[in-house]
Amino acid sequence: MTSLLEVNGLTTHFTTRDGIVKAVDGVSFRLDSGKTLAVVGESGSGKSVTALSIMRLVQEPQGKTVAGEVLFKGTDVLKMNEREVRDLRGDRVAMIFQDPMTSLNPVFKVGRQIGESLMLHKGMSRKQSFERAVELLDMVGIPHPRERAGDYPHQFSGGMRQRAMIAMALACDPDILIADEPTTALDVTIQAQILELMMEIQERTGTAIIMITHDLGVVADMADDVMVMYAGKQVEYGSADEVFYRPRHPYTWGLLDSLPRHDIDEKGALQPITGQPPSLIDVPSGCSFHPRCRYAQPVCSAEVPPLAEVSDRHCAACLFAADPEFVRGAPLPVAAGEGGAR
Amino acid sequence: MSAGDERPTRRPNGATDVEGHETRNEGTTLPTLPGGLHAHAKSRTLWGDALRRLRKNRLAIVGLIWITVVLLMAVTADLWVPPTFGDPLAVNTTPGANLQPPSLEHPFGTDKLGRDVFSRVVYGARVSLTVGVLAVSISLAIGLLLGALSGYYGGFIDSLVMRSADVFFAFPYILFAIALIAVLGPSYRNVFIAIGILGWPSIARVFRSSILSVKETEYVDAARAMGASDLRIMFRHIMPNAIAPIIVYGTMSIGGAIITEAALSFLGMGVQPPTPSWGLMLSDAKSLMFGAPWLTIWPGFAILTTVLAFVLMGDGLRDALDVKMKD
Repeated sequence: MTSLLEVNGLTTHFTTRDGIVKAVDGVSFRLDSGKTLAVVGESGSGKSVTALSIMRLVQEPQGKTVAGEVLFKGTDVLKMNEREVRDLRGDRVAMIFQDPMTSLNPVFKVGRQIGESLMLHKGMSRKQSFERAVELLDMVGIPHPRERAGDYPHQFSGGMRQRAMIAMALACDPDILIADEPTTALDVTIQAQILELMMEIQERTGTAIIMITHDLGVVADMADDVMVMYAGKQVEYGSADEVFYRPRHPYTWGLLDSLPRHDIDEKGALQPITGQPPSLIDVPSGCSFHPRCRYAQPVCSAEVPPLAEVSDRHCAACLFAADPEFVRGAPLPVAAGEGGAR
Repeated sequence: MSAGDERPTRRPNGATDVEGHETRNEGTTLPTLPGGLHAHAKSRTLWGDALRRLRKNRLAIVGLIWITVVLLMAVTADLWVPPTFGDPLAVNTTPGANLQPPSLEHPFGTDKLGRDVFSRVVYGARVSLTVGVLAVSISLAIGLLLGALSGYYGGFIDSLVMRSADVFFAFPYILFAIALIAVLGPSYRNVFIAIGILGWPSIARVFRSSILSVKETEYVDAARAMGASDLRIMFRHIMPNAIAPIIVYGTMSIGGAIITEAALSFLGMGVQPPTPSWGLMLSDAKSLMFGAPWLTIWPGFAILTTVLAFVLMGDGLRDALDVKMKD
């Protein structure tokens, strides 16, 4: 059975004055209807570019997807012509952006903006699309949707705008909803509401969601699968249960350790991952995480770890991932000072 | 996700717990956000909003009224000016008819050829306004097109357009205008053509930078992600957001064009006698400035007030068109 979306070896490069930035480097995953894939990683790890590459929205000519395939229902998006991609965007694959304050066009009424993709893809008249926009606003929990549809974005609060954005993305009943950090710019309480809303909608419409985030709390609540990215590469990919309970990559451990935990009465300081994310122009040799890895061995700087299956539906890109002794919280190796001190 | 309570790491975020449960229990009707509580004003259009803000700006309204008065006088001049005050071109050689100080018969006096100054000032408005509007239209036509191409496509086109604009900026403005007219020949038509050609680089620059900033916004990305075509993005999403500075700049440019026309005519490179033009009238009267001050005061007053009116109007528009301005 073909998956709804299957991405194989996706590689996107940006050409800059300083060299080629390997923003996404050989990312592969699959997504089925009604499922949620969370893409996690630090800023600059290639999460957003992965999403943009899937929709072919990477700004050319600086950015270019140089290799890989994006199979949407078996058809390679990267080989489609401009017209076919446009028909896909907004209709079959929709996107929610990070900052609701800036992702709505200030000169259009909210209802009109939500209706635009309906006019574009479904050939609806202005009036029909407005009616549908009112329904959608109602669905995303905007009170008095009919009146509010006639408002301009600046008359909406941040949370309402993000709801409007979601309504906009859902207008054409897309098969895939890509949410690029949809809650980052919102208050914590509003964040929770937006996530609830997205889960509810997924239950109702069966849309698949790709959730890009750096907030593991968000991931935990929603995701079926988790993909952890570091320096443009997948370092760990598997079901949410596997990645959370049996993480196999030291970077994932680092992410989990750096979370504040309110369940444990512990006054200890948070455990950050030391060092800085690497420059994507000059990626470290071998495993790109080795300069920051507390467990790094000499071999780590020489050999690129492949993304290997460690158990059913769980892959990790670490040379030691298969070692049963090498688990989260394992004692530091004797030679650890070498790698960790850098 | 069920069994969330057994998965401490999965809920590092306290609010997710509290709020999450709360909202879930309510089913589809999520709690009303604060924004939904405010007294809901009647929804208006963007331009309606702008107009309302403009009406509150007194100086802009003064400017608008003055422009309207001048415009009406210029348009209807044929109906009432010649019968009442005399033909602006009619030379009166009767001794004593020239250089009359202002009187009831000739409210602005007469010039050295015995022509009525009021009549000439009114007809001069025709020249000034036409030159102003036509020159700015030419600038807009060229500037908007090139600015849009430059801002939207960038790269080589951008460099080409902007470097050409730099060449225009490299010359002193008036000197360039004089040189152009020297080539085209001094005439009414060539004045606005020259001013129009010289005006495009500024328009192109303003529009380009405006487009550049709008192009980077997330709502343009969102439009692209929605499947909108290049043309649609350009005209429906970028243009309306980038046009406000142009409306402002264009309005002020009309004032600028009027001044340039007056300056060129003053230097003899613009409108040719006997056509009445404010600049030309000043030029004719400069030797009589002290003997017959009304010859310079009234055309000067006309230039000053009309240009000022356009600038005030432009300034008011700038504030009115700012969507983020709260009223």
